[in-house]
Amino acid sequence: MTAGSPALPPRHGLEERLRSLTLARGITVWSLLRVIAALAATLIIFAILLQLLGSDFGTAFNAVIDSAFGNSFNIGQTLMTASLLIATGLAAAIPFRAQLWNVGGEGQMWFGAFCTIGIALNLPKGLAPGLSVAILVIASMVAGAVWGLVPGILKATINANEVITSLMMTFIAIELGNWAIDGIWPQGASNETMSVPANTLMPNIWSGTLVTWGLPLALIAAIVAWAVMSRTKLGFEIRAVGLNPQTARMNGMSVGKVAIVTFALGGAFAGLAGSIFILGINGALPAGFPLNNFGYLGIAVALVARLSPLWIIPSAVLFAGLRVGSDGLQASTGLSTTVGQILVALFVILLLAFRLIRFSYPEVASR
Amino acid sequence: MRYTSLCMGHHISMRGITKAYAETIANDDVAFDLAPGEVHALLGENGAGKTTLMNILFGMVRPDAGEIKLDDGVVALSGPEDALERGIGMVHQHFMLVQDFTVAESVVLGTESAFNLKLRRKNIEQRVAEAAERLRFDIDPSQRIRDLPIDTQQRVEIFKLLYRGANVLILDEPTSSLGPAQIEDLFTSLSSLREDGCSIVIVTHKLNEVMEIADRVTILRTGRNVATEQRGNYDERALARMMTGSEVHDVTVTGEEYEGKKPIYQVQDLVVHAGSRLNAVHGVSFDVRPGEIVGVAGVEGNGQRELVDALAGVAKIESGAILLDGENITSRSALDLRRRGVSAIPEDRQGWGLVTDMTVAENLALTDVPAGRFNRNGFLRPKMVRKQARQVLEEYDVRPPNPDLPVRSLSGGNQQKVVIARELSRDHRVLIAANPTQGVDVGATEYVHRRLLEDRAEGKAIVLVSIDLDELLKLADRIIVLFRGKLAYQAPRNRCSVDSIALAMAGTPGEGAEITEREAAAAAGAETAS
Repeated sequence: MTAGSPALPPRHGLEERLRSLTLARGITVWSLLRVIAALAATLIIFAILLQLLGSDFGTAFNAVIDSAFGNSFNIGQTLMTASLLIATGLAAAIPFRAQLWNVGGEGQMWFGAFCTIGIALNLPKGLAPGLSVAILVIASMVAGAVWGLVPGILKATINANEVITSLMMTFIAIELGNWAIDGIWPQGASNETMSVPANTLMPNIWSGTLVTWGLPLALIAAIVAWAVMSRTKLGFEIRAVGLNPQTARMNGMSVGKVAIVTFALGGAFAGLAGSIFILGINGALPAGFPLNNFGYLGIAVALVARLSPLWIIPSAVLFAGLRVGSDGLQASTGLSTTVGQILVALFVILLLAFRLIRFSYPEVASR
Repeated sequence: MRYTSLCMGHHISMRGITKAYAETIANDDVAFDLAPGEVHALLGENGAGKTTLMNILFGMVRPDAGEIKLDDGVVALSGPEDALERGIGMVHQHFMLVQDFTVAESVVLGTESAFNLKLRRKNIEQRVAEAAERLRFDIDPSQRIRDLPIDTQQRVEIFKLLYRGANVLILDEPTSSLGPAQIEDLFTSLSSLREDGCSIVIVTHKLNEVMEIADRVTILRTGRNVATEQRGNYDERALARMMTGSEVHDVTVTGEEYEGKKPIYQVQDLVVHAGSRLNAVHGVSFDVRPGEIVGVAGVEGNGQRELVDALAGVAKIESGAILLDGENITSRSALDLRRRGVSAIPEDRQGWGLVTDMTVAENLALTDVPAGRFNRNGFLRPKMVRKQARQVLEEYDVRPPNPDLPVRSLSGGNQQKVVIARELSRDHRVLIAANPTQGVDVGATEYVHRRLLEDRAEGKAIVLVSIDLDELLKLADRIIVLFRGKLAYQAPRNRCSVDSIALAMAGTPGEGAEITEREAAAAAGAETAS
């Protein structure tokens, strides 16, 4: 039997061509153009908003660009923020590939940060800096994995909805963090825990900036995740289960095992974000804004990257630029930081509107 | 009394219909006519463009070119609602009924205003009951769709269209999930609708159905018209030739390889539950010897699916036993069964057999990767996967033989070949095959049959579950019939009577057809002993 479908002469519409120009699995020039369109639309709406607030868009726009990419120091800040988002993006992407909605990256990151602080304050003082950082990063990843295992195991054993369980675990983790700040390891009157000892801090790798080992660690994490997904037996099973769990079962794969493993892996990556934040950026666990929402933002980062580990890197830089840039708004325009947060939120909503983010993966050909 | 205003079918004429999807032309300058009061079969292999053409007539798909004339006036259908208003209705292969609705709710769905606050269940049920009586439809408006057998659901679909005033009925593969008796019933009611003046289009790839019911047939091949013929101007052989473009050679079973051999695969008193419906399989026993095909017949929904799932290790077994070479393998994991040499061809290839978004090579490796092949220390060996895939694609004649294409881009028949290739090319002793030719065309069907017989000749034990009785009569060495999860009949092929099989499938105990479980087990035991 021949495939009895005569080939059609190729169409020459611009859209058709752009759609067919594929840069990588699931990523076409067309989808990149849509990201740019979403970005443009975000800026237009933001300009209107600023006008209403009585600020000048030009000044604000320059402030955003300048504080995100204006000089090497600022670029460094953006890259460090991006390294957090790369890690939390992976935390979402790996389970998502198995059709498991880990929305608990935030909590897994908080628990990782919590354990990093706790262990760092109690490590022997004389430990070599490299060794102590290695111990803490691994401990933080294990902690995140444990936090992720709870929804994973509940999913595998009693089919508990992982969205709810991972979210509930997040609430617990954030409260643990707050307890650390107020009760366990408080630092005087400041709204932070005690700072970790100097020998546990990640060394700086770019003079004139605050870029530390956190950035290369995040990049390595993305490469490892890519290798696992595309080059290993485990990745093969994760992909198969995510794309068709029934067929996967029929062919001898365990959907439960994949749920547990992907949640543990995702949690470990979120835990990495926690340790990068403590050891590579802040030195202590702060209350509220500085750490808040990176876990959630990681979901958007992962979805824009179409769950591809390597594409998470540019996606994270884009979101980091917006987040760091929006912090600069306050300095130049006197607007509250919440306005900056609106900028990021607007961008996510418009990505949805441009159908770049979909809560279904992949696009199944309609029949 | 006849409800005479029921059907005054239209003259429909489609001309120059052309529809292209991304890379294929589904319809290429196709013409199709329908006269009032005729049953017109639209015949073609899978992918010939039948469903596309009918979706165009039903307004679901807009053609790139061509026109549709309805009683001399050219119409541009804006959508299914528009088509329904003009009296054209379609029943899809997969019914579009809401499982939780009652029959009455399903029938009036879409005909009532969303703002009709006076809508009450009793009212609609009464209205639907009256209409059912008028149209001589035997349905209970208060029953829920989910509780109805498949043929009754189909009746509801047809009734729904008539209720809305359709006089042109398009039925897409209407017999694909029906048993012989149900097909008979369907054809009887279609004949009476024809007498009432309805025009009916049956989309099919089954030749015997065309012979039985059609007044006229239009044959499509690769999106183009081949011929339109009046009843009497064709026979089955001619239809097959026009449909496939070549002669079809029948395969024949030769020899009885299993003779005198001990059974290697034994199913004993198997009980499998199915969700809320208890006892989907209720104590089924049979043996399979090496080189033997045991055919499992039955109307869809009598426990076949649960039986296959249990044998493949993806459904929970409540009680009973499965033995492979005398060893108890009951309730082993699918992975363990696969490792022990059980191959399975599930009936729903896209739902259970393939990962359509993965490549052909990856799909061919789906079973072997979890079982431990193709990797070193957990790292895949893509070159090995692709090399093996090339070989298998060649051997099993999958087209195109490109291991890197996503399976989704293959035709239905070739997708099925990928499943067959994976399951037969691996080392196995037992093959569980469920409706392996459902929805594939004549050429691919013949191919699958040949492969199954080759597997049989190599001494594999084969369980072939099929709703196509002809297929079983052609291939199986022994036929058993499932009715409501129990063994209702069993006999070696040369002692089978089609009538008694059909009766057993319908649940009617006929002469010689009825056997108790105990007798069945005894018979199986006796055969084993001899």
